[in-house]
Amino acid sequence: MAASLSSIGSVRVLSTLARSSSLCSFSGSRGLHVTVSCCKNRAARIRVGKGDKPVTYEQAHHPHHIGHRKGWLSQHTSNLKGEDGAAERTVEDVFIRRFMFGTFHGCLANEIVIKRRGNLLNVCAVMLQKLPPQKFYFLIGYTESLLSHFYKCPVKLEIQTLQDKIVYKYL
Amino acid sequence: MASRTSKTFLSLGRINIPLLGFNKSSGKVTYATALSINSSSGNKGLPDRGGRGSFVRRPRREAGEPRTGKMPVDQDWTAVYPAAAPFRPGSVPLPVRMGYPVKGGIPPEKKGNLELIKIPNFLHLTPAAIKKHCEALKPFCTEWPSALETDTKCDEHFPIKVESKEYVSAGPSLRNPSARIVHLRVKLSSLNLDDHARKKMIKLVGERYCKNTDVLTIKTDSCPLRQQNYDYAMYLLTVLYHESWKTEAWEAEKTVADMEDYSWEDSPSQKNILDVLLRMKVAGEGDGEEVRQQLLGRKDIQDYKDSVTRLKNEGESESSMLQYKEAVKKVFNM
Repeated sequence: MAASLSSIGSVRVLSTLARSSSLCSFSGSRGLHVTVSCCKNRAARIRVGKGDKPVTYEQAHHPHHIGHRKGWLSQHTSNLKGEDGAAERTVEDVFIRRFMFGTFHGCLANEIVIKRRGNLLNVCAVMLQKLPPQKFYFLIGYTESLLSHFYKCPVKLEIQTLQDKIVYKYL
Repeated sequence: MASRTSKTFLSLGRINIPLLGFNKSSGKVTYATALSINSSSGNKGLPDRGGRGSFVRRPRREAGEPRTGKMPVDQDWTAVYPAAAPFRPGSVPLPVRMGYPVKGGIPPEKKGNLELIKIPNFLHLTPAAIKKHCEALKPFCTEWPSALETDTKCDEHFPIKVESKEYVSAGPSLRNPSARIVHLRVKLSSLNLDDHARKKMIKLVGERYCKNTDVLTIKTDSCPLRQQNYDYAMYLLTVLYHESWKTEAWEAEKTVADMEDYSWEDSPSQKNILDVLLRMKVAGEGDGEEVRQQLLGRKDIQDYKDSVTRLKNEGESESSMLQYKEAVKKVFNM
């Protein structure tokens, strides 16, 4: 999923160099797309450092541990055999994560878990108690109604709050 | 701030003394305690905002004990988890731990544990909850009809079986294109077909007939709606039935190669065996129609006929080959 809480510098830069000569019709035009290389052995990994960086369970385990030590952050039936709609669900997930990250800015303690139960979209999040409860209630209601209208399906937010982040280990 | 409160104390003290004096004289003793009025700045360590105006920061309440501490042992669990909900550590009074432990450590506890939230839980489906569901559904249920006790009775009253699938998935749309497929199954023995009609029906449907179970399966998926596919399947069955009863003029041109079963009469096998026996002069007379008929009537020739028919129809197997061997031995008196 694209929107991670601690996105560490995997910025992709797309630059198109188009060489074309508009005068001569037979030379045509070519495009060259260049990206910064993002190796798969550096994706979603926090590198071991001095030992003063607190990381959560989610951040400490690398992507190849998914299915072995980590569960899935998003659950829906579209990835089963013979089912369709996987692309739409993925795009919805990405948007919901970015939306939550921005709406509850600085309050998210961990990644967001998205569960779909039939029509219902269940967004589970663990938050820090940075805002007073009234503000939390307002933001929860705002998110739920906005996303429901946007996706034309009932959206429920299940929020748990903590005093501070749960640290798994220090890297 | 300190000076302010001390002034208040002094003022109260001054008021109190004459009161006390008054009360002492009447014999009653009252204690007037001065409560320090600190409500204006309840937050610890905040500077005095007296000059700022009416902004008052409410005291931050400490989070109370989670619900798990106040749950009696015989509570109604269906009230805690009435419907499917993610795991809430403050509502589940179990010391659950989940996760890969750090080296030399134990799995992380349930508070703030994202792994427990990720997985689906069935806390809303305890036996007590299911019993409640069943009780709620019972008024809407009816008894199974007593005339349909066994499978054979069901087949007898309802020989045509229609099957279609419903699909449930997670997403805003409940349409699934695979839901339009309809399978219609019927046993040919339950249809009113004579020999010719049955053979013609089997030829017409081809692959859709299963010889072992005598079941004709019609699968329709060419229409966009299930209702249309069902109507089309019933129409196909009706047309097949009526067409198989009709005899067309060109059906008289059916050759031996079109026959479904092997029949021994007028086959090369019959001609061969009769020729061989006549050459061996078993009958003792010359060629003739009555001689052939007489030979055909013999028991061992009938056995030979049965064994060859069985071999051709059912294919080769231990028992059929043995039967053929016995029949040949009998014919040639070996």
